[in-house]
Amino acid sequence: MKKLDSTILQALNPSDYFTLAMDDEIRRENMPGSLCGFALNLDKEPDIETLQARIIEFGERFPVAYASLQQQGKRFFWCQREQNIPLFSQHKEGATQSADFHKETVLDLINQKQAREDISPISFHLISSANKHTFLLRWVHPFCDARGVDLIFKFLCTNDADQRLKFNLPELGSLVNLHLEKYKWWQKIALFFQAKRYITKLDQLPSIIHADTTQTPKQLNFTNFTLTDEQTTRINTNVRKHVGMTGTSLYYIGCFMRALHRMDPTQKGEAYCAPYAFSLRKNKSLSPVLANHVGALFAQVPKALLNDRSALFQHLKNENMQVIRKKLDYAFLPVMWAASWLSLEKHGKELRKSYASGTERSSFWFSDIGKTDVSEMVFFDSKINSIFHLCQITSPPALAFLSCQFNKRLTFSYNFIEPLFHAQWIDQLHDLMLEELLME
Amino acid sequence: MMRVPKLNHDFLYFYVCTHLLPSHTRKVLMKQKIRDFIFDELIFVAEPEKFSDDDDLLEAGLDSMGIMRLIMFIEEQFAVTLPDSEIDPDNVNSFNALEAWVIQHKS
Repeated sequence: MKKLDSTILQALNPSDYFTLAMDDEIRRENMPGSLCGFALNLDKEPDIETLQARIIEFGERFPVAYASLQQQGKRFFWCQREQNIPLFSQHKEGATQSADFHKETVLDLINQKQAREDISPISFHLISSANKHTFLLRWVHPFCDARGVDLIFKFLCTNDADQRLKFNLPELGSLVNLHLEKYKWWQKIALFFQAKRYITKLDQLPSIIHADTTQTPKQLNFTNFTLTDEQTTRINTNVRKHVGMTGTSLYYIGCFMRALHRMDPTQKGEAYCAPYAFSLRKNKSLSPVLANHVGALFAQVPKALLNDRSALFQHLKNENMQVIRKKLDYAFLPVMWAASWLSLEKHGKELRKSYASGTERSSFWFSDIGKTDVSEMVFFDSKINSIFHLCQITSPPALAFLSCQFNKRLTFSYNFIEPLFHAQWIDQLHDLMLEELLME
Repeated sequence: MMRVPKLNHDFLYFYVCTHLLPSHTRKVLMKQKIRDFIFDELIFVAEPEKFSDDDDLLEAGLDSMGIMRLIMFIEEQFAVTLPDSEIDPDNVNSFNALEAWVIQHKS
């Protein structure tokens, strides 16, 4: 058994293994692992001195930010490094101006290949050219999840030192374990089998995958679209009309499935399947900041339902209601706990991929971040013009749709692996997506 | 053969709430149970005791997934069916609104 050569700061919790298994899959494709990004486009250079001081404070408060992820046996730990890697770096455009210095730098950072032990769990980057400033927070799953990143931003933007002390209090530990503690051992076993039955049922229908998997993954690329106020209002009205106030994410998922289907209705497979994570944190809670505290669920729609919009949304809604009624969301937790003791390869096979065939279950990855907490904020004296999200993806599906609402406008980030997908294809897909979203 | 209901805490609570207590007390208990569920499971409020029955739950962080869970919880706990078509901000944006909505559907 491999022995750790440095001090353990923190062990991973069961939800972290779920994202680490994704990291492992991505790395096996010779890609950089599960790197994610959250970027702000700013109207001017922020107050760098204060920003840097706040980032240093963040590192002191959360030392795992400097840690190295190391394995001992089947378990993984955040371990102390001999020397801390600086958390903040600046990237300035040189004399020779490139067409899109900002996008190229973001892509370089998100596609940077480093050994798992060497990579910085989180890093903050300010990309500056004469008229443009982008602030990128890059993190690696399993350091934290999207809600955690929202909290980190909130921490950085909180000017009152006393208020900053409230982050991560109370110290809650693993929310998967906390939720599991509510159940007796026989209830956990019952939940475990309930989740297994749920997975088996999903796997009866092979998923439709659009990526051309005969080609080798090259690198992640992304395209962002910010909708207008009018488009956003119309879409929000449609959400209420078609899925009600409880189904915003389901509306995006349904529209995205239909848009994909319209791109190529002859695509092999019997159903579209999209995973979506739900946070175990209470809303508005400032704790826990680090690690992953999510459960996983899937939305699945058989091909036959895609031609009828109302039937499709009704199906997604019923499916989601059944999941909550049968408590399948929590049923996944014991499976996640149990799978955290497996090898990463087996973990992915058991939870993420189709169990029987070992093929990809997800037609695409999906995340609806919702209204972001940075919405109303000015970032270190600089106004935030727009935001976008990034995430590395396994291939297949090689495609992720990330949505959020910022400043009352919807922003969609399409993340895709080239050359399995290309920018023109994504543009066409977005046009169809927009049609679907705006359809009365 | 007569079916004997399973006696557990939920059943006792439900029985006491629906049969033995005066109507006003039943309402207070129902509201308290909904409060506990929301603050224990769905949203974080630093001082829940200061959160009034008219304060805005949506502003406080009750989101679509939370509303779904809340409705399932209410339906299970108080043997009531809340129609999908009535899931509306006006019915879920405060404890008082929730109470009125639930009572409207209780026979």
